[in-house]
Amino acid sequence: MQGSIRIRMMMLMAAFVVVCGWSAISNAAPPAPPSGITVKDAPNDAGTGLIVEWQLSPDDRKDADPRVVVRYEIDRLARPLKPENETPIKESKFAKVGEVNFQLAKYLDQNANRQHEYLYRVRAVSVDGESSTAVESTVAVQPELQYFDMRRAWYLVLLVVVGGAVVYFIQVVKSGKDLKIRKIAGLEAVEEAVGRATEMGRSCLFIPGILDINDIQTVAGITVMSRVAGLVAEYNASLEIPTCRSLVMTTSRETVAAAYLSAGRPDAYREDDIYYLTDEQFGYVAAVTGNMVRKKPAACFYMGAFFAESLLLAETGNAIGAIQVAGTAMPSQLPFFVAACDYTLIGEEFFAASAYLSHEPHQLGSLKGQDIGKFIGGILIIAGCLLATVVAVMTDPPSGLESLVTFIRENILGEKGFMP
Amino acid sequence: MEEPAADVTVGVTNAVTEIAELSGRKLVDDNGQIIRPAQGDVGCDAYISTSSAGGGLQMMVAGVVREMTAASAKRAALGAGAIVMDVIASNDRRLPHEQIQRIRELRPDMILISGGTDGGTTSHVVQLAELIAPAKPQPRFGSEYRMPVIYAGNKEAVPIVEETFDKSVELSVVPNLRPVLERENLGPARDKIHDLFLEHVMAHAPGYDKLISWTDSPIMPTPGAVGDILRTIAEGQGINAVGVDIGGATTDVFSVFDGVFNRTVSANLGMSYSISNVCSEAGMPSILRWVHLEMDERELRNRVKNKMIRPTTIPQTLEALVFEQAVSREALRLAYQQHKEFATTLKGVQQQRTVGDTFSQNTSGQTIVDNMKLDLLVASGGVLSHAPRMVQTAAMLVDAFQPEGITTLAKDSIFMMPHLGVLAQVHSKAALEVFERDCLIYLGTCVAPKGQGQRGKPCFSYSIRSHALNELGEISCGELKQLPLADGEKAEITVEPARGFDCGAGKGKPVRKEIRGGTVGIILDGRGRELELSTKREQSVPAVTQWNQALDLYPESS
Repeated sequence: MQGSIRIRMMMLMAAFVVVCGWSAISNAAPPAPPSGITVKDAPNDAGTGLIVEWQLSPDDRKDADPRVVVRYEIDRLARPLKPENETPIKESKFAKVGEVNFQLAKYLDQNANRQHEYLYRVRAVSVDGESSTAVESTVAVQPELQYFDMRRAWYLVLLVVVGGAVVYFIQVVKSGKDLKIRKIAGLEAVEEAVGRATEMGRSCLFIPGILDINDIQTVAGITVMSRVAGLVAEYNASLEIPTCRSLVMTTSRETVAAAYLSAGRPDAYREDDIYYLTDEQFGYVAAVTGNMVRKKPAACFYMGAFFAESLLLAETGNAIGAIQVAGTAMPSQLPFFVAACDYTLIGEEFFAASAYLSHEPHQLGSLKGQDIGKFIGGILIIAGCLLATVVAVMTDPPSGLESLVTFIRENILGEKGFMP
Repeated sequence: MEEPAADVTVGVTNAVTEIAELSGRKLVDDNGQIIRPAQGDVGCDAYISTSSAGGGLQMMVAGVVREMTAASAKRAALGAGAIVMDVIASNDRRLPHEQIQRIRELRPDMILISGGTDGGTTSHVVQLAELIAPAKPQPRFGSEYRMPVIYAGNKEAVPIVEETFDKSVELSVVPNLRPVLERENLGPARDKIHDLFLEHVMAHAPGYDKLISWTDSPIMPTPGAVGDILRTIAEGQGINAVGVDIGGATTDVFSVFDGVFNRTVSANLGMSYSISNVCSEAGMPSILRWVHLEMDERELRNRVKNKMIRPTTIPQTLEALVFEQAVSREALRLAYQQHKEFATTLKGVQQQRTVGDTFSQNTSGQTIVDNMKLDLLVASGGVLSHAPRMVQTAAMLVDAFQPEGITTLAKDSIFMMPHLGVLAQVHSKAALEVFERDCLIYLGTCVAPKGQGQRGKPCFSYSIRSHALNELGEISCGELKQLPLADGEKAEITVEPARGFDCGAGKGKPVRKEIRGGTVGIILDGRGRELELSTKREQSVPAVTQWNQALDLYPESS
């Protein structure tokens, strides 16, 4: 008996709670609406953006607890512009284009179209999902196209400086002046390596990396290959090029044939010495190293993109007593090459090989101009780091210094600047 | 040995007779023969001779790769005292018919062929032989004379090379100059060159067969003998030495660094026949920067041409002397530069690296000439030996060679070094004693830290202590100072270089050393190394005037 009474009491209490809850929901008032909506064109874009700004709802207080307003919803009404001498097109309806969190009073609509003008309205939405009345813009705004993104003005300045330096140095070289280029030991040693092979009556081996011809390192390697082949032709030595990609083989054949021709020894060119082995990384390495052990080339060149095979190749070359010259831009493989080879072209040196070897004015000028760019970049990075460190260390940094760091970070070195 | 005598012994007899007159000892008998062995106060124990007649031994060398075996062959020939007329190599960028034409044009005394390591290339070496054999190079002396050809290449190619040459040449085979690329073996080739020089070249020169019978030791090419004595001295005393012999047509530079001997002949750098070439190679502004007097450039050009057509004239005026010594500075500088480029480590050698070498990968073929390691600098040749004042010789040496650290300066009094080189083979102790006492005139010691500094700022401070000298002081950048320290005296010097300057122990680190005096004394040089002197007259004249005054080079001009 007592048990049934207890159950009834509990059911009554539950019913009371549900009824009270329902009453609370159904009686929640919508939040106060935002006010002062303005719409303007987003600057520095291609005419696709509009900025909508408003004043926060009075209920959207920073210290409100519990929070009344949780977000703002933005609706847009797109009105196609009337083409000249044509009848007006009928208006469409407001549709939601986005929302922002509480305490934010700005929305960037990036999906606008220059062929339309837009009206916007903003509603504050409470935690219960209740929307306030909408505040609506009164003037339709059309996005505008800006031809210059002024945020990237620094990029332009630096581009002009670096580009100007390139043009200037090209003119300097053309006028007959010598540009000083640091001696790159690896490239100087190419002649020595081919000479050694000639004296010892053995062949030269050239590996143009294991990636395809679309990789920039393979292209750089083939530039050096041209130089090696020219020297081999001049010294009347022999050159063997096993490749890992069929297209690299074709390109290598063309390159070597041209080098032999320009050295005046087209008769000495042997197409069969440039051959394709396999695309399989370690199958290729096994074939090449086996060949190295059997034929004992006196000069080995590794120029291109390498992975795990770098040390396998270089160690085998070292063991057979060859002079080895390597060049790659793969940072992880460089230590192996440096330790096992006689000379190693490191990263940029490898890409500079073409200018270094050809002494062609355009290439030399570009190389020197790029150096200027790198120098400026280095100075800016160092200055930026120092300033940022100072600002971080100071307890109350001057606002000017802080804004300078922000400016450097966001406009010169950041996404919009010199180092995008 | 020109006509009418056409006999080299006539000149030898005249020279010996002159020595006999000067020494008061009878050396030549009534038949014109040198009296040997000595009997009481008559005659001498031995007669030795060197020869540079007819321009000395002239050779052509050939090798497979210009920078490797061909360079070794050149070193062997130069070391033996020859002038290398041309180097034929597979990579000398000449077509075969051009190479054959060149071989036909040259008239060398002998040819040295090298190429290939032992077990290396044979095809290239045989190709070289196939260029030389049909060219049939003609020797300078004697129509019946068979051209001596020395083969010092890959031993496996010997049979084919022997087949390639016919009886028109005298082929000699010696061990490979570069049995492996890591090592040079120049001795056998050098010895063979000396043998063939006597057997073939000298035997066919007028009167040389008689001269050979007179000598107690094989006749050597003069420069080869100079090299031998320098090498003997350097090895005996454990020092690094450089010797220079500047002549009218050529300048020879010899060096021994860490036991490695090198010799170069700068064929177009000299003080009379080649003076025009010096002016053209160095450029008149570079020469004039050493001249502190006002001179008309047109007049100087006339002076140069006059010297070329009248090579035996000597300067008669102060201006002429200053100008000649300015030319010699540039000739010596250029010759030394060529020597540095030639005296290198071997090329084509496998390198051993560690990861630490990532940013410092030096190529092989670096020069072994290091001015900081240089201990002794010896000068010979007219313009240096016969300068009116010893200090002028010292100044020319210091300005041209730019010794670094502490270096002893000396000059060969009467060009005795070649004869001592031959004497060293007969009686080495006597040769060394004569070299020390009579051959070398010690000029003194040069102290010159390496580095650059702003003019007027401290360069180094010094403290010199000896029986006769007790000096303390400081030298500023750009300053030059001379202190007396007589010949035969020694002093202890402590040099404390300023920051950025190195006197041999590292930048800014003090050096203490015993130095020797000489006719000039001690030269304290704060001008920095590399010595920079502008070619602009307004800058060079005050600087050079100041230096000249500091050393009292030309007292007549002040």
